Amino acid sequence: MIEFFAVYPENWANWWPQIQTAMLVTVQLTVCSFALAAVVGLLLALGKLSKIRMLRMFCSGYIEVARGVPALAVLFLLYYGLVPTGLVLDAFVAGFIGLGLSAAGYIAEVFRAGIEAVHKGQREAALSVGMTPMKSFRYIILPQAMRIILPPLLNMLIILLKDTSICSLISTPELMLRTKDLAMMSFLPMHLFLLAALMYFLMSWPLSIMTRRIELRMQHGKKSLTP
Amino acid sequence: MLELLQKIYDLGGPLLLGAVTTVEITVLSFIVALSIGLLFALLKLGAPKPVVWLINVYVEVFRNTPVLAQVFIIYFGLAHTGIQVAAIPAAVIGLGLNGGAILTEIIRAGLAAVHKGQREAALSVGMTPWTSLRFIILPQTWRITLPPMGNYAIALLKDTAVVSAIAAPEIMFYARNLVTSTFDTTFIYILAALLYFALSFPLARMVNHFEQRQRAWQ
Repeated sequence: MIEFFAVYPENWANWWPQIQTAMLVTVQLTVCSFALAAVVGLLLALGKLSKIRMLRMFCSGYIEVARGVPALAVLFLLYYGLVPTGLVLDAFVAGFIGLGLSAAGYIAEVFRAGIEAVHKGQREAALSVGMTPMKSFRYIILPQAMRIILPPLLNMLIILLKDTSICSLISTPELMLRTKDLAMMSFLPMHLFLLAALMYFLMSWPLSIMTRRIELRMQHGKKSLTP
Repeated sequence: MLELLQKIYDLGGPLLLGAVTTVEITVLSFIVALSIGLLFALLKLGAPKPVVWLINVYVEVFRNTPVLAQVFIIYFGLAHTGIQVAAIPAAVIGLGLNGGAILTEIIRAGLAAVHKGQREAALSVGMTPWTSLRFIILPQTWRITLPPMGNYAIALLKDTAVVSAIAAPEIMFYARNLVTSTFDTTFIYILAALLYFALSFPLARMVNHFEQRQRAWQ
């Protein structure tokens, strides 16, 4: 047992700088893909709720497909599949666009459910006091919807953080790829993959705890609907 | 047009072969996950503190680390310590353990959502704790957990794509192999994506149906 852990201090000076750099890429990848997914997701949700039939159908279709196709397939399509068409994307760019577009399908449903949960009298009231539709959405609907949206949105952030690991398969230089390289070089796969798992855990666990806190807080002042 | 059909036929064959493995891995992992989830969720109701604490650690660890890391530990890590696990069993164990943590939480929430008066009533009419669980609590839990469990099944189906990284011969694995032999990258990956969609869409419809029905109950 002691032998097992003795490996870490021996290699720490060699491993840590590389792992640190790779973790930074993982964080960047997570933030970029989440931002993209949030923006696209909101637009899709609004599209799905719009009065224009074509737009509604397009957005519903996009959401269905994005939710039915693995992110890995999207990543491969973006990174390798576009090469014959002459579009060569950087591994990082392909990674965050792929993850973002894939997650947008989920986030759209989260937004839609949140917006729909706001009583429609709120919107009517806002319009009747002279707000424009845009303003009523921005100042009346969205703040109330946020209460419902925030916890699942944060959950999605955690899922994205973990999903960035699959970008290693399209050679984005993030935590998993670096770990795999180090594991192959040092022949210590158990040590390195455990270390990687620990690093992901350290990034993700605080987020999980925060999400649970917020979830509990959002339930305050609201009677439980469960029978 | 005929050429396209011929191409789909040529490339679709191996991909369909992969689809069989994908479904296999999905079903087996789901069974593992459901067994773990049901057992641990029930244990959390009444087991001694240290057991509950261990279950919580398991759930937190597996929910906060990527499934790819878990699969790599089982496949590459264990091989290094002398325990060789073949690709498909490694995939099933990894995805199953990962799913076990998710389903533990889903089923626990489902059990908690059943009003405790139900159990009290069952006990007061003379049922044993076990029969009250079996005939009163679990059927109601089942109803509540069905939609989130279905959503998990869809996520699992898609997550099987990552086990191509340990060379489990599923859809993505065959797709990558086909690419190296035919170089028809765009077409093959679109075909693979469509195949996943074809597999997950019926599941998604089913989940939708359950959700609608649940709304009707409420």
